[in-house]
Amino acid sequence: MLRFIIRRLLITIPTIFVVITITWGLIRLAPGNFYSGEKTIPPAIEKNIREKYGLDKPWYQQYGRTIWNIVRHLDFGTSLKYEGQSVNSIIARSLPVSATVGILAYLLALIVGIVAGSIAALKPNSKRDYASMALAMLGISIPNFVLGPILVLIFSLTLYWLPPSRWNGFPSRNVILPVLTLSGLYMAYIARLTRAGMLEVLRSDYIRTARAKGLTEMQVVIRHALRGGLMPVVSYTGPALAFLVTGTVVVERIFVLPGLGSYFIQASLNRDEPLILGIVAFVAITLLLMNLLVDIAYAYLDPRIRY
Amino acid sequence: MSQLFLKQLIGGMAIASMVFGATSCRVTATTGDFYGNTTPPRQNILRYVNGDEPESLDPPISTGQPEARIYMALYQGLVDYDPKTLNAIPALAERWDINNDSSEFVFHLRRNAVWSNGDPITAHDFVYSIRRGLSPELASKNAYLAYYITYAEAYDRKAVFARDPQTKQFVLEQDVADSAAAAPVALSQKPLDPAATEYKPTTEEPKPDPDTPFHQLMHSPPRLTLPGDETARNKLLAKNAKLQAAVKDKEFVPVSAEDIGVEAVDDYTVRISLSQSAAYFLGLLGHQLFRLAPRKIIEQYGEQWTKPEHIVTCGPFKLKAWLPYSEVVVERDPLYWDAANVHLDEIHFFVSADNPTSLNLYKVGEADAVLNHAVPNAWLRVVRPKKDYMDGAEAAIAFININVTKPPMNDLRVRRAFNMAIDKINYAKSRLITKPLSAFTPEGIFVGYPQPKGEGFDPEQARKLLGEAGFSVTKQADGSFQCKAFPVGEVELIFNTNSSNKSMAEFMQAQWKQNLGITVPLRSMESKTYLSARSKLEYKGFAIGLWSADYMDPFTFLGLFSTPDGSNGSGWYDLKYVDMLNEANRMLDQKQRYDLLAKAEKFMLENQPVIPIETFAVNWLKKPYVKGMYPNAGSLYAWKFVYIERDPAKWDYAVPSLAD
Repeated sequence: MLRFIIRRLLITIPTIFVVITITWGLIRLAPGNFYSGEKTIPPAIEKNIREKYGLDKPWYQQYGRTIWNIVRHLDFGTSLKYEGQSVNSIIARSLPVSATVGILAYLLALIVGIVAGSIAALKPNSKRDYASMALAMLGISIPNFVLGPILVLIFSLTLYWLPPSRWNGFPSRNVILPVLTLSGLYMAYIARLTRAGMLEVLRSDYIRTARAKGLTEMQVVIRHALRGGLMPVVSYTGPALAFLVTGTVVVERIFVLPGLGSYFIQASLNRDEPLILGIVAFVAITLLLMNLLVDIAYAYLDPRIRY
Repeated sequence: MSQLFLKQLIGGMAIASMVFGATSCRVTATTGDFYGNTTPPRQNILRYVNGDEPESLDPPISTGQPEARIYMALYQGLVDYDPKTLNAIPALAERWDINNDSSEFVFHLRRNAVWSNGDPITAHDFVYSIRRGLSPELASKNAYLAYYITYAEAYDRKAVFARDPQTKQFVLEQDVADSAAAAPVALSQKPLDPAATEYKPTTEEPKPDPDTPFHQLMHSPPRLTLPGDETARNKLLAKNAKLQAAVKDKEFVPVSAEDIGVEAVDDYTVRISLSQSAAYFLGLLGHQLFRLAPRKIIEQYGEQWTKPEHIVTCGPFKLKAWLPYSEVVVERDPLYWDAANVHLDEIHFFVSADNPTSLNLYKVGEADAVLNHAVPNAWLRVVRPKKDYMDGAEAAIAFININVTKPPMNDLRVRRAFNMAIDKINYAKSRLITKPLSAFTPEGIFVGYPQPKGEGFDPEQARKLLGEAGFSVTKQADGSFQCKAFPVGEVELIFNTNSSNKSMAEFMQAQWKQNLGITVPLRSMESKTYLSARSKLEYKGFAIGLWSADYMDPFTFLGLFSTPDGSNGSGWYDLKYVDMLNEANRMLDQKQRYDLLAKAEKFMLENQPVIPIETFAVNWLKKPYVKGMYPNAGSLYAWKFVYIERDPAKWDYAVPSLAD
């Protein structure tokens, strides 16, 4: 197991560099640059800007310098758009916002989803099965850029209960709507996955054995069925958690949250190379780690899996 | 990947705002005269939705409006913008003198102005700030605004003077000029003549013209400047034998910050020398490029000086907190020279890049005012009748660039035809708040400017012109038109992806189809891709363009076509036009100057490098209890005059008047 983890961690390093290199290349291929605006700048000033940021140097020098700084100091440099702000500091301060909203949404989705899915699976084709699956279908079909505004309309603009947007730290009332909006889809998806997984497991031989041994229905479900039934949920929620934690562009934009997702989309639109590289590398690392965690969780949940 | 993603995102936003727009209409229809809640905040705090995240708090750096509005709270220049007209009003300078041909300005600074750390503000601070703003190392995108200051452009472009190594004599412009084409010399560059008064006589002290060695230097014939880059310089010299002979055996000296025509005559007097007359220059000095930055702090902390723990400012407010992507909070600076007349205790500049989100904050009463253009077009019918909606003319225009370097659009007749085939009056009607435009300066902004009229809507004449150019338009049996000869593959209309550009492009496409029988393909592009294609002229046919005033003068629009670099997006450049503009700017009489500028504008319109479309209108909301904030043409607000009125009898129940 330990060898497996170490091997996987070692593979992560070259993967990240491939990701950074490809991203770097793609930014270079994209037309336009960070300093262009509706008002075109005189060429002399453009030249000054290019010199200031070292863009007048040959590409291999620029690439080499970027990689060297990352390897040597884990330094992604300074944002081109936001003067004087280092990429590392931007990630460090926006990650907690995204992570707070993401983890809360994840927990909410996990709890509600698993409970709803289990309830549905225990009595397939019953009224409560249909009810929870219909709700889940609705959750999957309504994208968050529709759900968010509807929630705002109800709870902020009509009832005046909750603020319509903006970040006010945690805990605060501002967190509620974004978390609800963000968890909707995942909640629904997890409910459906749980139901499917549970249905399959409940029909399997070892559950029949457990029942035959005289365990109560509660013990059967919680100790035996749920463990096996959650396998599809686990493989889905690992990467899902990575995406939730590293920010979701739409929800952060609708609710004006100062999270990683807001910066990511703006960085791409602004051609802010250091910031794009920093966030891409960070997201890639998170994703790889989450996948590793999923594999470890597999081994824990399913005694048949050994590394 | 990012482009596809962006499309989805924007699509999503559009759907969201539709759903939102449709439903929120029903809610607001019953809430009365104002859009949402009108309870004033308990404290003297203004919460303003300011748009995008500010790039920087360093005044010369940013070009955007959100930053400009924050700079207006934090920093001061010699002059500031009038809250209604945006004309120059005294700020750090109590008063000023302008010489007889508007080529030299002397500012007398107030003696009680201090930085937020208590240090006195002196003339040296201004000189430092402008030298810094123009330095090639800082690479400010705004630097071009100061290019009329003597040697400012040369310094920013890293140019060099040529000097004789033995005699230390500089080569002068007049040594190499074609004597025939010599332009009249500005007073600021003529040798000082003690007999002639350069300034109008004044009884006020101090007098505007104390002499200094630097003043003498400015008042001498301008030196020749050459490109600092050797390859560029040699290329230029190779083309001009006279020039080559003049700089033979000379040494090249870089133009330095100290050469720029800005001088601290004493601790409280600043003198600015321009390389030519420019009457509008005073109105420009409120711009952030000319606002003061603290030398001591910048030299100590470098790029990090704007961090909340280091920053020192000079405006009516100082920085209290900066929460990136959330808000910038400024508080009243008790040390500000006019602190007694600053009404607000704090201003919170909220970040929000999404219009429906901004309006929601406003509606529930979590914001007291929103930025210009925050009301989406689809919401106007609901929001515009409200008494807190701010209507007013804006110094900004929309137009279509024509790439005049490629056929068939290099033919003036074709360009004119495409212009005359558009019914701009009907287009403006569909946009509800904008005005149709036939010229290149905005309608109704510059009082007394005799704006010329471009050619109007005339489909008949348009078809005739196309026919003359070899693309005859024929009428079909069903009454529609067809133009078979026109190479449709050689044109397209490109625009930056957003819903208002898209509806504009579709309108133009429909007009050309209906009136000329030509279907111009549309191409929506991601913002930076589009800007790159437009500035490099890598497009065929047409590209949508927007322009807003840097300062309140027609020249901020007309000057766009005065550079040869193709940076105007159409590739049109005519030396005759540049000469006309320069001649106008040398005029001392405002009316004469305006007449000549209008003549130049007419000339430009006749060459049709662009198709003017509309003059924008400001389009925002403020609560009735927010007073002292006016829908001025530049959407720049002098925050020190803004206050919260708690007595409903004194609230604004209509758009506050811009007339004094």
